[in-house]
Amino acid sequence: MTLMTDRRTTAARPDPSTDRPAVVERPWQVVAAREIAVKLRDKNFLISTFFTLVLIAGSFGFQAFLANRPHEATIAVTSPAAAAVVDQAEQAGVAAEVKLEWSVKQVPDAKAAEALVRAGDADVALLPGANGAQWRLVGERERDDTVSTWVEKVVGEQVLAEHATALGTSVEQLRAGSTVSYDLLDQDARDPGFVRVVGFAFAFLFYLAALIFGMQIAQSVVEEKQSRIVEILAAAIPIRQLLVGKIVGNVVMAVSQLVLFVGVGLVGLSFSPWAALLPALAGAAGWFLVFFLVGFVVLAAMWAVAGSLATRNEDLQSTSTPVTTLTMVILFGGIFLTGTGQLIASYVPLMSVVAMPIRLASGTAAWWEPLVSIGVTLILAVVLVRLAARIYSRSVMQTGTRLTVRQAMKLQG
Amino acid sequence: MLEVKNLTRRFGEHIAVDDVSFDVADGRLTGFVGGNGAGKTTTMRMIMGVLAIHGGEVRWDGRPITTADRQSFGYMPEERGLYPKQPVLDQLVYLGRLHGQSAPAARAAATELLERFGLADRAKDKVESLSLGNQQRVQIAAAVIADPVALVLDEPFSGLDPLAVDSMADLLREYARRGVPVLFSSHQLDLVERLCDALVILSGGHVVASGTADELRRSGRVRHRLVAGDDVGWVRDVPGLTVVDVDGPTALVELHDEATGTRLLTEALRRGSVREFAEVVPTVSEIYREVTA
Repeated sequence: MTLMTDRRTTAARPDPSTDRPAVVERPWQVVAAREIAVKLRDKNFLISTFFTLVLIAGSFGFQAFLANRPHEATIAVTSPAAAAVVDQAEQAGVAAEVKLEWSVKQVPDAKAAEALVRAGDADVALLPGANGAQWRLVGERERDDTVSTWVEKVVGEQVLAEHATALGTSVEQLRAGSTVSYDLLDQDARDPGFVRVVGFAFAFLFYLAALIFGMQIAQSVVEEKQSRIVEILAAAIPIRQLLVGKIVGNVVMAVSQLVLFVGVGLVGLSFSPWAALLPALAGAAGWFLVFFLVGFVVLAAMWAVAGSLATRNEDLQSTSTPVTTLTMVILFGGIFLTGTGQLIASYVPLMSVVAMPIRLASGTAAWWEPLVSIGVTLILAVVLVRLAARIYSRSVMQTGTRLTVRQAMKLQG
Repeated sequence: MLEVKNLTRRFGEHIAVDDVSFDVADGRLTGFVGGNGAGKTTTMRMIMGVLAIHGGEVRWDGRPITTADRQSFGYMPEERGLYPKQPVLDQLVYLGRLHGQSAPAARAAATELLERFGLADRAKDKVESLSLGNQQRVQIAAAVIADPVALVLDEPFSGLDPLAVDSMADLLREYARRGVPVLFSSHQLDLVERLCDALVILSGGHVVASGTADELRRSGRVRHRLVAGDDVGWVRDVPGLTVVDVDGPTALVELHDEATGTRLLTEALRRGSVREFAEVVPTVSEIYREVTA
């Protein structure tokens, strides 16, 4: 066995370059590969990823289903004239590309029609009107606005035409000059409702990924402290390589998962009624991934510090409070900030991870703004990761009691 | 050769290791002995670069030690540790790769070590499912996985059953035979005496004695025991020696020079029969008690 082979047949110690592999992997790469392998073998992680994907795909499917579903209504009438009005209203709606599927139920009188509505066999009844009105609609509890819109439109046109004829003029002449145009100054402005949904999606995806993968980092640091293997690791490789490996491994996993989620989301969007918004959103989503990448490196370093301050898993709750609070602030800032607040947030490192992509999605950010913002975040990332590495390498070997950041800074290596 | 030169480490006001120097020669089993708090673990941690050095240096092959040198060392810390939830083989492969082995080389080495320790059938089991003794064996395998060029082992025998102690001793001897310098600490002085080529005795952060076992034994005044047929009270009157103890026909003396020995024996033979006249070599335990007292 190789254990027994004598490498020292000559007096000289063998040249390390010949008895070590030619392509030496950097220790952090080995550490990162282990972090990834551990995560890929974690059933909970695989299952939750799968269900999140199903949820995203499913929600888009559901939206598309809702959008494509025709408006169905059964309308009770008491006369052929009413049936004709319903028919014309439906045609007018279909002509305006609204999907309508109406059916008519003819009954002898108003009482019978109302009974049908009350029994739920008809949604609306179209009955002869009172007090000068030709028609009235009767529903049970709620108004059906789709039915009323198109019926009112058809009836209005008919009545207007009758009045015009009686006056010896035409509908066109009556209407001349009555139209009001509505010009939008900002043609590119996007639907605020849509922007809100996108903002919520970014904020929430960030929150989930930062928490799940952050906790993973902290737990793996504590595991090494608690099991005492950290001393073997520290003797084999520089402690910073261990930290870098952990951060890289988890950042790779977090970003890959996010790419998967965002990708499925964008594909889903392309099949939805908002497909036209895809080009604008794809840019914002791309920037979101870039911001997340840099932002999560910083958070990952903080999570590692939270882990290194703890001595047991139970301590994590308290040592990770600052970083979980920070994550919440970013989440709520992303959801609730608007206007100037949002503008400022889009330049504050970490806050910008969510805020800048939302501004990009809403079209209020110029092309250079994300570049400046990511630059600011990068500078902070370098400073914070260095600081985190200092605290981590001091506290990770302290297996006695839980530490505070201040205590850790005072420790000697 | 591993050289420790004037190593010093403070914890606040307390000086845990004070100007400690010793060598661990190639192919030598060097025992590191001392009471609790003598500074053995602190010294070993500084050698392995796990703890910052406050003074002095560690040298390897005649030059200051580097991170790469340490990466090729095998280390067993006082506080044992492995990933409890990772399978045994995966874990050893991981540690081998951290020491710079390629994945296939690490896998081959890990498989061989597990076979050697009779754990081949447990390769896929999680460490936490192993008995403590078997976990200890995996811990040893972890220390030697990457074919180390030096071994630094903190209390490698603690917690081992007698059979495991023997196989651990064999393993250490095997590495020493291959020219690897081996430094290990232990409380079991009889074991150290049986196993070691050289000894370093630490007390209160200082080296109080060091050298080969033979050098140490003969460093103090050599004593002689004389057993005669009759009462030997007369030895008190022999010049050139110090009487340590006289008990009927037996006397324990310290000779001041070689010639006195001859004179003593001649005198004893003149007075009657002599059953024994021999050098008394102290055991390591006795030396230890003497230097740490």
